[in-house]
Amino acid sequence: MADAAAATTLEWATKEPCLMGIDEAGRGPVLGPMVYGCMYCARSYNDTLATLKFADSKTLKEEQREELFESLKVNSSIGWEVDVICPKDLSAKMLKRSKVNLNEISHNSAMGLVRKVLDMGVLLAEVYIDTVGDPEKYRIKLTEKFPGIKFVVAKKADSLYPVVSGASIVAKVTRDRALRNWVFDETALNMHMKTGSGYPGDPDTKQWLEDHKHPVFGFPTLVRFSWGTCTPFFKDAVEVTWESDDVDEDATNNGRAKRQVKLSSLGFTGFKRKTEEIESSGKGRCKFFQARNLELVRKFQ
Amino acid sequence: MEHATPPAAAAGGITATVDLSPAATDLGGAHLLPCGIRQNGGAPVSDYFKPRSTGVEVEGVRVEEAFFRGRKLQGATLALPDGYRGYVLEKKSRGKDASEGEVSNFVSRAEFQNITYWNHDTTPSAEDSLPRCFHWLTVANAMHKPVTAEELANMSAMQNQDS
Repeated sequence: MADAAAATTLEWATKEPCLMGIDEAGRGPVLGPMVYGCMYCARSYNDTLATLKFADSKTLKEEQREELFESLKVNSSIGWEVDVICPKDLSAKMLKRSKVNLNEISHNSAMGLVRKVLDMGVLLAEVYIDTVGDPEKYRIKLTEKFPGIKFVVAKKADSLYPVVSGASIVAKVTRDRALRNWVFDETALNMHMKTGSGYPGDPDTKQWLEDHKHPVFGFPTLVRFSWGTCTPFFKDAVEVTWESDDVDEDATNNGRAKRQVKLSSLGFTGFKRKTEEIESSGKGRCKFFQARNLELVRKFQ
Repeated sequence: MEHATPPAAAAGGITATVDLSPAATDLGGAHLLPCGIRQNGGAPVSDYFKPRSTGVEVEGVRVEEAFFRGRKLQGATLALPDGYRGYVLEKKSRGKDASEGEVSNFVSRAEFQNITYWNHDTTPSAEDSLPRCFHWLTVANAMHKPVTAEELANMSAMQNQDS
């Protein structure tokens, strides 16, 4: 969801060709939102922008980033937007029946920002963006989607182009604030926000995951369940089996009978019964019952 | 103690007794998730599982949204029909009855009046199997309802007309 910060379109932006930079923050960490940010200005302002000391947000200290963000917010020659993708949306998309990978989520977020800025009436001429995946393929994808715009897709774009550095500050500060002000959906006791960087090598992150794991629920929704970092923590957790996971494995087998097995092994009836028993349970029964997954239970266990 | 034991012991059908008499906790509602959770027992559901109304309505069903283990679930709440109640049963002990073989004893631990069923990735609809299960109750009622003398008379009158 994009922030409504720059909801009123700046006048120069609809009259002069503009440059825009797009960058992301929080793509790798196991927790918190992934934020895409963009910053744009008139082409004629680019030289001035270069003097404003926006550098790649990773090379700046948190206070410096905060300060720069506040200064660009009040700068009427600069426009910006963000797209905050919640960890639960990231997990949900990556764990859907038809899974969406992180590159695709990233591409969609960046394209969403371009769309949004265009819809505001901004005259976008050039867009600079840090690459996700292969730069040339990404450039073609963007150009096909927005034919009127020149896209420059580069590795480390945030240290090469001032508009991308600015976008990187917008994204990073927004993510840091989102984490600082995080309100847990969960009401479990003793939750805290000493999360560390969110990278698996960080002892604080490991400790946080250890402190917040739950045998049934896994983790609070701050965590991206689809990350490999989570896997070791699920080892002692209660096993949870999903129909969608099974369908994947069975895709090459003759699907239907197997799929029914999985369906009927869900829910009330428990999981201890033998496969053959479940498989045969539909046989010889009226269609009315088959269609409703209803069976006569002769034995409670 | 009420026994839900059918008289069909001789046919090999009887294997359980269910005691519904203990004053059970009223849960109000129960959740049916689209996954197998390989554990029996309690869990702090209300601390971690936070359903939210989406404001979307499909075929008159209000769609809810919740997350479990990173998956997005969409669900709908169905009230159990009048005259029905849901129970959470706990197995008490496995008694051996000389004449009946193995007997499982269940005791009610909680009851509920509505059930929220959850789909992974698909919007709930009247075509889902859980709402369709309730059709059976209507059919069963119609089949087992005693036929009154009046109805019988009407039936035979109609048959006479047809022939």
